[in-house]
Amino acid sequence: MDKKNMKDSAPGKTVSKESAPKKYTNYPTVIDHSTEVQKEWAPWVRQGLWDIKGYRVVKGPAGGGTIDESKKNLKEFMVIDRTEASLYSHSYGLVSPFFLGLLEGKLKGTKCPNCGTVYCPPRAHCWNPECRMTETEWIDMPLRGIIHTFTVQCLAAAPFEHILPFSLGWVQVEGADTAICTMLHIPYHDLFIGQKVNLKFRPKAERKGDLMDMYAVAVPGQKVPKWAVLQSDEKQLNRLDEATAATTEFIKKRYGLDNSKRGW
Amino acid sequence: MSERRVAVCGGGIFRPDIWRGECAEEGVAIAYRDMLKSIPGFDPADVDVLMMSYFSDHLNQQLCMGWIIQDYLGFHNKPGYRVEAGGSTSLDAIANAYFMIKSGMFDVILVPGWEWMSEVDTATTNMMIASAADTDWDFTVGGYYNAYYASLEVRHMQLYGETCEDLGRIAVKNHNAATHNPYSQWRMEHGTAYITLDDYWKSKLVCWPYRTLNNALISEGAACLLLAAEDKVKRYTDNPMWITGVGLGTDSMRPGDRLVDFPFSSFRDKAAIYPDFVKRPKTPYPEMANFGSMHAAALRAYAQAGITDPLKEIDVAELFTPYDGVELCFYEDLGFCGRGQGKNVVREGLCEYGGELPVSMSGGLTAQGHPVGATGLYQTIFLYYQLAGKAKTKYGQNALQVKNARRAMVTGHGGTACQGGVIIFEKD
Ligand SMILES: [Zn+2]
Repeated sequence: MDKKNMKDSAPGKTVSKESAPKKYTNYPTVIDHSTEVQKEWAPWVRQGLWDIKGYRVVKGPAGGGTIDESKKNLKEFMVIDRTEASLYSHSYGLVSPFFLGLLEGKLKGTKCPNCGTVYCPPRAHCWNPECRMTETEWIDMPLRGIIHTFTVQCLAAAPFEHILPFSLGWVQVEGADTAICTMLHIPYHDLFIGQKVNLKFRPKAERKGDLMDMYAVAVPGQKVPKWAVLQSDEKQLNRLDEATAATTEFIKKRYGLDNSKRGW
Repeated sequence: MSERRVAVCGGGIFRPDIWRGECAEEGVAIAYRDMLKSIPGFDPADVDVLMMSYFSDHLNQQLCMGWIIQDYLGFHNKPGYRVEAGGSTSLDAIANAYFMIKSGMFDVILVPGWEWMSEVDTATTNMMIASAADTDWDFTVGGYYNAYYASLEVRHMQLYGETCEDLGRIAVKNHNAATHNPYSQWRMEHGTAYITLDDYWKSKLVCWPYRTLNNALISEGAACLLLAAEDKVKRYTDNPMWITGVGLGTDSMRPGDRLVDFPFSSFRDKAAIYPDFVKRPKTPYPEMANFGSMHAAALRAYAQAGITDPLKEIDVAELFTPYDGVELCFYEDLGFCGRGQGKNVVREGLCEYGGELPVSMSGGLTAQGHPVGATGLYQTIFLYYQLAGKAKTKYGQNALQVKNARRAMVTGHGGTACQGGVIIFEKD
């Protein structure tokens, strides 16, 4: 086993080869690792451990009953600030080849040898009840597909807030029976259901082996059809323009990032 | 299974708000006190089981919070269970309490439900909730339920032609209803003035087409519900709300997999109603436009309750709709209209107060509040007072009492309707 990784597997502690507990000897060997993340993050995980960092005293409505009743019943509450942090080492399981493929700029799916269903995202076992969990086979998928549906985001959960505004959606990759969630680098004025897209990968050095490594761009030369749900309502499009502009301003203020220059 | 009937005998409320000073066990205790006040014949010694309804562990850094609740309420020698099913948590808690009483094993079950969702900041709460999506395949892209639900709604809009204005009408309906509810979060935040579509357009866009007024609130709050077997009911209430149908259903974890949704391949004839200008997936229902788990659940519940035309045969409904497009789609999936006709239900006002089947007159998730484990209990308590004809005794003079309501429905669902449920209630 890689000496360095042996150490890494016990965050925050230095474990020499000799003193390593015996129970690890039957564990799988690390044959490749991208970073020394466990070592790097050990101090951070310790810093963020369940710990009380401070408190506030706040006064507010209390008790049962209606709004009016609790507004008359103000009480003081002590509110503590406590932290929690962890580093999860999570296996992608039998579909690991898909994520390793992303690192190489390849898109993989699986096909059921029994019923022929093509899965992208892949499943290691076919979910068709008739196939009784048949093991699927790996196939290479083309880097093409069509947009099944989409949205334009002006608010996001914590990990994605700084890249707002952006579009995501589900793309049915050519040959696949399912659709995969992906970022859409397509200006929303051009975006429509049924649009043909090419799938691209971020530069190799930036890839992490997760779905954010990949994104869709429009196949050039397509006209937005008359029935397209977003563009057929000009008022909505204008309101969306206002909202994305406001979002860009908000991100500039909050994170100092000018996402208007990055392209959509 | 025993033949005896099972009824909801009442409940208590600790109103939802964006922040409550009391912690969960105290909030549940206050809701329980509220219940005790309204059910003088209730003796805690009657309780056979506690069925505890709460969704998250990581929002509060506390595993096994059910034990704290059981302890705090003084029930710590009784059997206690925790039910967790994402957004369907409270619906499933009621369903499981019903199954237990119906089995003949137990007679009286107390269902406490709660959620404390503001201990982390809003963006982090959203992240933690979104970890109920597949964290390898969906969460990694955008990590936000609102975006997933918005995408589902865009698909439905494209197929069936409802407009953003239709979504606005639903938002206006539910928020204005909530101004009549003295426990609603919207009334606390906004007061009792009605809003209009103009106000809707001014509310912030979250993920197109959803604006803030289309979205479930983040809440802290609690509720308690009492269920009992037929022979015990009289001790507690003169207005038992009988459970006459319980249907549950599930669908794929990832909505993108519903394009080849084998278990739904026999559901309905979709050929006639699927538009020809977009590519037709292998299994056209529910795909990413509708909610198959809810359809399956409704069929099961209706069969038990003998319902064939829900729009006509149900008098009042509280639907679990975290986003307003979900309400429109549910009109279809619950059989109020055909697939693709949800927009007509909105435009004809069939589900407004005074319409054929008033929906979410409590304000629902977007306006009454949404502390997940308590949400369905609030909605069920609202229906209890509706069927009893006593809405004003609980909700005040201006309560939206539906006249002569005899039969009611509550729903719940979790994930992107990965799991769903329907319960039918009736009065004698
Ligand atoms: Zn198969």
